[in-house]
Amino acid sequence: MESSFREATAEERVASVPLSHLSVELGHLYAEDISAGRDSLAAYFQRVAPWAAEARLTALARVSGQRRPRVSTCFLVDDYFARLGSPATIIPDLLETAADSGLHIDYLARESGCVDADQVPLAQLVEGHLVPDPAPNSTGLRPAVSEAGWLCNGQRSPVNGPSEAMRPVLPWAPAVENGRRRHSIFLDIELWDQTDGRRTWSCPFLAAVWQLLRLGLLRYQGRDVVVPKAWDHDTYPQEWDDLPAILQLSPRAAPFSAYRTFSILDGRFLPVEHAVRTILAQVAVEPLVLEQIVERSNGEGMRLAPEISSRIAYLFLPE
Amino acid sequence: MTSGTSSVHRATTHRPDPGLVALGEVRTGLLQHSAAIPHQLAERILQLVPGERVRLSQRPIAHALSPELMAGVDCRLAAASGTHIDGTGTVLTRASITGGTVVQASARAVVGPARADHRLPWSHYMARPGMIETRGKIEVDDLAAGFIGQPTSSSALDLSALSRRMMDVIQGSSQLDHAPRMRTKRTRLRWTARTVTAEQPHGLVEFAIEDDVLRTLQLRTKIDRIAMVASLCENLALHDWLLSTLLELIEREQRGAPHAPQAVLRLRPAIDSLLHLWMPAAHIDESLHPVWEALERRAGFTRQWEQLRDRIRDQVTLSAVTLMSVVTEGSASE
Amino acid sequence: MIILSTSDKGGTGRSVTSCNLAYRRALQGSDVAYLDFDFGSPTAGAILSVSGAERGTTSGAGLHHYLQDRVAEPEQIDVWSASEREGLRGRPMGAGRLVLVPGDQGGGEFPVGTEMVDRCIQLFLSMEAEFELVLVDLSAGRSQAADLILSATAARQLQAITVRWLVFHRWTRQHIIAASGLVFGERGLIEAGTERGHDRADLENSIRFVRTAVLDLSSPEMAGLRPPQAAWLQSCNRELQELATKTKLGRTTMLGSIPLDPVLQWREQLISDNDVVFSQIANPQTSQAYEDLAKRLVHDEAWMSL
Repeated sequence: MESSFREATAEERVASVPLSHLSVELGHLYAEDISAGRDSLAAYFQRVAPWAAEARLTALARVSGQRRPRVSTCFLVDDYFARLGSPATIIPDLLETAADSGLHIDYLARESGCVDADQVPLAQLVEGHLVPDPAPNSTGLRPAVSEAGWLCNGQRSPVNGPSEAMRPVLPWAPAVENGRRRHSIFLDIELWDQTDGRRTWSCPFLAAVWQLLRLGLLRYQGRDVVVPKAWDHDTYPQEWDDLPAILQLSPRAAPFSAYRTFSILDGRFLPVEHAVRTILAQVAVEPLVLEQIVERSNGEGMRLAPEISSRIAYLFLPE
Repeated sequence: MTSGTSSVHRATTHRPDPGLVALGEVRTGLLQHSAAIPHQLAERILQLVPGERVRLSQRPIAHALSPELMAGVDCRLAAASGTHIDGTGTVLTRASITGGTVVQASARAVVGPARADHRLPWSHYMARPGMIETRGKIEVDDLAAGFIGQPTSSSALDLSALSRRMMDVIQGSSQLDHAPRMRTKRTRLRWTARTVTAEQPHGLVEFAIEDDVLRTLQLRTKIDRIAMVASLCENLALHDWLLSTLLELIEREQRGAPHAPQAVLRLRPAIDSLLHLWMPAAHIDESLHPVWEALERRAGFTRQWEQLRDRIRDQVTLSAVTLMSVVTEGSASE
Repeated sequence: MIILSTSDKGGTGRSVTSCNLAYRRALQGSDVAYLDFDFGSPTAGAILSVSGAERGTTSGAGLHHYLQDRVAEPEQIDVWSASEREGLRGRPMGAGRLVLVPGDQGGGEFPVGTEMVDRCIQLFLSMEAEFELVLVDLSAGRSQAADLILSATAARQLQAITVRWLVFHRWTRQHIIAASGLVFGERGLIEAGTERGHDRADLENSIRFVRTAVLDLSSPEMAGLRPPQAAWLQSCNRELQELATKTKLGRTTMLGSIPLDPVLQWREQLISDNDVVFSQIANPQTSQAYEDLAKRLVHDEAWMSL
């Protein structure tokens, strides 16, 4: 006789989140770019517009057949590193200048929302999932060499510290990249710093969290972490903290998260995004979530590689 | 678009190819606490990854299983032939607490050949949790034998260190009082599971007691079961530990004055905390039950356990009678 | 229970006494582990006659390498099966386990970092979980080993474990002064321990002294002394007793006294009652002293608050 028995608390379960085919980031601006005024915002969106034409985005979504792709657009506002003007004036400015260039922003996100959102400590969550890229001869004997608050893509230059009595002192050696092709491009990324016991996360680290959110890869206790909140008022509050982490600005927008992301950024963000990719390569996504998303994409006739980095594309704007 | 909860079975994304070998080590020990801990405390102690759930079950026995941790490795693999084999990938580690009393820490990885002959970007390996890819061809028998015979101190893949570190993390938890009711050894079970094709015989089991703490188990299994073997090995290690610990406690009890009725009182903690934990093949996928049965036939785990358990109960009953009569005589002579 | 053996000077017979205490405790029925933390010269293997580990182990899995994170697990050698001495081989009836955790051959002193303190805490926790008595023999003086152990034993996780210190010294003026300095002096155990988070009074209460190579003036061997010699020795002994009291090494803090035995002066080894040859040569008082001291190690009355 067939019989079955299950205990819900004993099972592995993860939520399934709504997914678009492509999440398009129309830009990421520092506080000073925004405070430079409407004209400079307008100029910025004019530079973005040719790269975000609908036909181009449809092609990038890589949907097979005649299916109409689900594409959503987003914009990240930096309210974390600097005091920004009031959302009551900035958000309308952003939306209007974008619209003037034929661009539509579906979702507006706050950078502080990548630190904590809806009571979920997102940045800590991601930090807790880092698995450092192992240097040669990492047998598992020792925990991966780590400097608190730093993450790199290889082996740091050895520091001559005190050693066992009467043992030879090591000579200088360069830092090396793991898996290099003969020569190294070594990168050491500061994830956070701390003053008076208060931790400030770095821009690349939060940008990595941002990519993971857009890819729908984060879960907390198996649940979805950030759900965009619809904003159907015409006005915005005076303080950024009074806004949700992610605002949904157009009611009929395709889902915020997507199988793939495409970010249109100013050229000066190249080093930040190099760091983001290095961080993402070392984030352990829950295997169940990875599997679930690959399965769903297969179901939609897409071939999605399991590597996160293969799902991310960029365009760095010329000056 | 719907948002909801789905439960998906593990190990579907990277269906391993034939010619793989899973390597693992399980450590088992008594939780360093004065009493069995409640489920909620086990959950707190095993909360090793922020935001990931501890899996809890109450039946047929209380069992709490931590989320899985990943560690990166890039090193030589031990081969019995001495062949130089390098591999890169990730090892999975996890811990569990059974009956609020017994801790297990395990580390494991599936080893298989890579398609590339050079190290790939780290993101490649991160997308294949628990896989180690070797550069160059491998002989699974050679790797399995090399791993089983690997000395403590070697420069090859060290699953032993990973499981030990996990054990130390749990046992060093600040939530524990570090005042256990008895002293016991920690045991280690080193295991391998080689994949076989449909035609080859599978399930072949070699279990060995190498010394007073090390045991080895070698299996052959079909490829779709390789992910479930770890739970089987953990369950086997748990029962082997229970048996070894009971034998050790009995030996210690008989060391002093073997026939003194008080001596049996030293077995009290064992009776209270261990005797009810015997639950072979709990939480094991049914397709692997034949492996347990084969081991039972050869090593007779349950037979020996029952015999020891009965002996302890008899002794306790006897000495209770003796103690009673001592007390009665004492009061009569007053 | 963890017993930490130390001394200010070398040549106190600390290691040989510690080995004998471990041996006696095992004979008395306890499971005992002996940890060789004498990093500069790990020679417990020689005293216990364990072949291949006389000057530390060559397996690469000794305590030096374990503490420096070069091996996952320190080697454990079962003395009853590994000892080369006939009289030691095979566990006697009623005896507990006797395990040596050796140092590494060719190992030296090394700097102590926070990771090493963590390794040491883990080691003590896992040893304590398995053995009733964990005897740790430290290098002489203000060593890295003592520093490491003071830090480790201050850790929260080890607070449920009974930790006791034995400070060995010879019964001479210099040794008494040195031992007192090691415990009570500047940068001494108590000062350094308090800095590392120990409670001063508790730490002080967990330290006892062991006098070694003590001449027993009432023994028959002394009967042959000329009266002036005997008188001189008596007066020296009184002076030493006064000095010991003044430097807090008096009777109340003394756990035991090991008589001078020629056998131990020439050859550091276990004094075994089963060993026909040596039980004839060694003084019966010596093995009695070990036997008594081994009992007092775990006898709570001997460790009551002073």
